[in-house]
Amino acid sequence: MTESPDTSADSLPAAKLEARDLHFWYGTTHALKGITLSMKPNLVTAFIGPSGCGKSTLLRCFNRMNELIPDTQWEGDLLLDREDIRRADPIMLRRRVGMVFQKPNPFPKSIEENIAWGARINGYKGSMPDLVERCLRQAALWDEVKDRLKDNAYGLSGGQQQRLCIARALAAEPDVLLMDEPASALDPLATGKLEETIIELKDSYTIVIVTHNMQQASRISDETAFFYLGELVEFNDTEVIFTRPENKRTEDYITGRFG
Amino acid sequence: MSENTWKEPEMPIHRNLDDDMDLLRSRLLDMFDLVDEQVAGALNALLEKNDELAEEVRQRDDEVDALELEVDRNAERILALYQPVASELRFLIVAVKVNTDLERIGDHCKNIAKKTMDIREHSGALAVTRFDDMGDAARKMLRDVQDAFTNRDRRLAERVMRQDSAVDRIHKENFKALIALGRENPESIESVAHAISVSKAIERISDHAKNVAQSVIFLVEAVDVRHPGVQGE
Repeated sequence: MTESPDTSADSLPAAKLEARDLHFWYGTTHALKGITLSMKPNLVTAFIGPSGCGKSTLLRCFNRMNELIPDTQWEGDLLLDREDIRRADPIMLRRRVGMVFQKPNPFPKSIEENIAWGARINGYKGSMPDLVERCLRQAALWDEVKDRLKDNAYGLSGGQQQRLCIARALAAEPDVLLMDEPASALDPLATGKLEETIIELKDSYTIVIVTHNMQQASRISDETAFFYLGELVEFNDTEVIFTRPENKRTEDYITGRFG
Repeated sequence: MSENTWKEPEMPIHRNLDDDMDLLRSRLLDMFDLVDEQVAGALNALLEKNDELAEEVRQRDDEVDALELEVDRNAERILALYQPVASELRFLIVAVKVNTDLERIGDHCKNIAKKTMDIREHSGALAVTRFDDMGDAARKMLRDVQDAFTNRDRRLAERVMRQDSAVDRIHKENFKALIALGRENPESIESVAHAISVSKAIERISDHAKNVAQSVIFLVEAVDVRHPGVQGE
């Protein structure tokens, strides 16, 4: 990066997260090639594309998770609320930009501790039971676990564990939730519940989801970005992407002509 | 994305969906052919006063109905099993709508065939109409729109849409001429009434052909050209 990003208010649309001419390398592998796109607040944005297209790499750029991987580098601009992510403290950044992974990864602790533990470390001063209840309610899990908060989280089903991970991410009071194939390990019923939760959460959060499930992208997202070989092929309203995509490659991918 | 970085898949993916869509397309073209034969049969029976042919058209309407059900079942099956999107979804929507339009054309053919004998009771009713020109125009629309559908030809579909007004014009002329005949010869009134309903049926055939043309444009261009006055965004 050679210049400061242009962050003047009148030059930008309302965007929560932005990438501008973003390049990313794993060693010598050029994984993202000049990605420019912005995600609007309180919308669900879906990233789709075949394996290796760069969608998960891009997702992890937004909370600088890739920096934990050795021999990686990036160029370009990443902005959160028009502020340069590069200048942010990574720990603070990851509180504002929470992440939910493909495989549910609760701590080997009680349900309530999964939420309270991080909050306590972060110096949360409010009522812990209130925080636990609020986060579990937001993640649509409260009714299922309210009578067994002391039970080990490993005793929950996969779908419940994934919603617990969402509740845990919410405890850090983020603005943005990044989700990397959050339903790929869940059965259809748990997937439906998770999708309903995501739709409810977008009133309060900006959500970016990576998914291989085309129907999931079309069901829950407002905007969809299609990536191929590290490039952004098409970014548009989800309805447009799935009814009249402008690019033939997008159409070929969403109709399953190649993968 | 630059063209040179795009790599076509080395092995094209074979999808069951492709086979099922091919079958649906093929049965819909069978429906076009069958309905075209019905239009030809109904008009020839009328103009040539051929009762046997009229009866054949009436009987074959069951075939049209059966094919309509088969096409709809195939479309429903594809939607349920594959959840297609984009141009494939448009094709399915269009297949169901075109199927309905064609079946309705089949119904009109059956109705024309039913009237053939009744009109002839007063031969003057046929003489004052232009059923031959009208029938030719409607049938040309149907054939052209089948070509437009087969070749995904937007321009031809637009031409078909424009042809509809010529058929409407002949229908109005027929109507005027038949009313005048009824006034002059009150004994012809029953034949006149049947002839008016035949004229209306041919006019409706051209309307359905126009609907199909609109569907073809939606299929090819993803643009809905119906009801321009009430279109949203």
